[in-house]
Amino acid sequence: MKVINLENITKSFADNHVLKGINLAVDKSEVVVVMGPSGSGKSTLLRCITSLEAPNDGIVTVGDYKVEAGGENERERKATIRKLRQNTGFVFQQFNLFPHKTAVENVMEGPVVIKKMSREKARRLAENLLEKVGLADKCHHYPAQLSGGQQQRVAIARALSMEPMVMLYDEPTSALDPELVREVLLVMKDLAKEGMTMVVVTHEMGFARDVADRVIFMDRGVIVEQGTTDAVFNHPKEERTKQFLQDVKNA
Amino acid sequence: MTFSLITESLPALLNATLMTILLAVISVVIALIIGFFTALARISKNKLLKGIASVYISIFRGTPLLVQIFVIYYGLPQINIEISPIPSGIIALSLNAGAYLSESFRAAILSVDKGQLEAAESLGMTYGQALRRIILPQSIRIAIPTMSNTYITLIKDTSLVSVITVTELLQMSSLIIAKTFEPLTIYLVAAAIYWVVITGFTLLLDWLEKRSSRHIMQ
Repeated sequence: MKVINLENITKSFADNHVLKGINLAVDKSEVVVVMGPSGSGKSTLLRCITSLEAPNDGIVTVGDYKVEAGGENERERKATIRKLRQNTGFVFQQFNLFPHKTAVENVMEGPVVIKKMSREKARRLAENLLEKVGLADKCHHYPAQLSGGQQQRVAIARALSMEPMVMLYDEPTSALDPELVREVLLVMKDLAKEGMTMVVVTHEMGFARDVADRVIFMDRGVIVEQGTTDAVFNHPKEERTKQFLQDVKNA
Repeated sequence: MTFSLITESLPALLNATLMTILLAVISVVIALIIGFFTALARISKNKLLKGIASVYISIFRGTPLLVQIFVIYYGLPQINIEISPIPSGIIALSLNAGAYLSESFRAAILSVDKGQLEAAESLGMTYGQALRRIILPQSIRIAIPTMSNTYITLIKDTSLVSVITVTELLQMSSLIIAKTFEPLTIYLVAAAIYWVVITGFTLLLDWLEKRSSRHIMQ
């Protein structure tokens, strides 16, 4: 069963064609890792799924929610986009936690404001999620009092609070000190094992080897190559993929 | 002689200082409300609201406060709008400071990282929910303590209201001078009182600023 379906997604910023007609389907419980050099369009692709960037053309479907570029009336479109977002967890490179709220309040925010859940119920849900990401003892800390790794785990718990059917990660460990990367990847691996559908933009090859069902290599706005981790990492067919893998290994 | 002059005038001057503080406090509160909503109008997508807000700001920042006071107190009665001196003063001070505060609010709203809006909207919030729950609480915390220049200007500007017969500190000083013919002493006392009020207020603001940004500082 397809959870995400992208049809012919294009996106340009002025004369810069960042995405040139991307087609991609992600099955339920599938973990897809997207790699590629900077400027390849991988983050833009992820942001187009939830309309953080509006595609110029194409159709995005997540579950039952279908958003067509330029289609329908504006009001209806916005409502569909909100529904789609409520069912899609998004994790940012810079965490983007709400600095004026504690960890538990960050996680409660979505259920309370959007789902109109009672505060007690939302608090229990948030405490459970923070426990799940290993931060039961940090519930009442403000983001500024947490390390980057801890902040990113709170951000994952916040995304999970809406009980999404898919999680999108935009370079979730790129802003972290090396020693903090592992704790975030462990949380993500656990989620993958539980059957969460995930699309992860990352350079972490170890993570890709451990949990990815499919690796996608993007360059200059197109999907250059995709396949199992073994196929893409060990037997790349395209010259650009080979070059990129060489660059990552040498880094 | 001078010393007894000071002690004799002090009760009246301090009493008038209460009027100065009252004018300042009421005007600040109203100006904050005006400034807040004007800032929202400025950033809204509604062209009419945006236009009204811009014209208001332009007029009140582009003309002298004294002229604004004269228009409200001496000008409006000509079209049958008569407002007593104290409310006239409060209206002029609030509208004037509101125009400045709205610019501070707007800057504070725009200074909130755009990742905050993205995070809120990614959860599925409407723009309005994101503004109310996430953006505005942060920008108010940023804005209110940083508006100290405007508050201090407002306290000083209350002295302009003396020209429409409101008996605040400066007006009272002039009344006492008319009886005693001691302008140097009395004006210096008035200046000292202004200094104490403004310095005290500045210290309070510094304390508030430290307190409100305590856990937001990275």
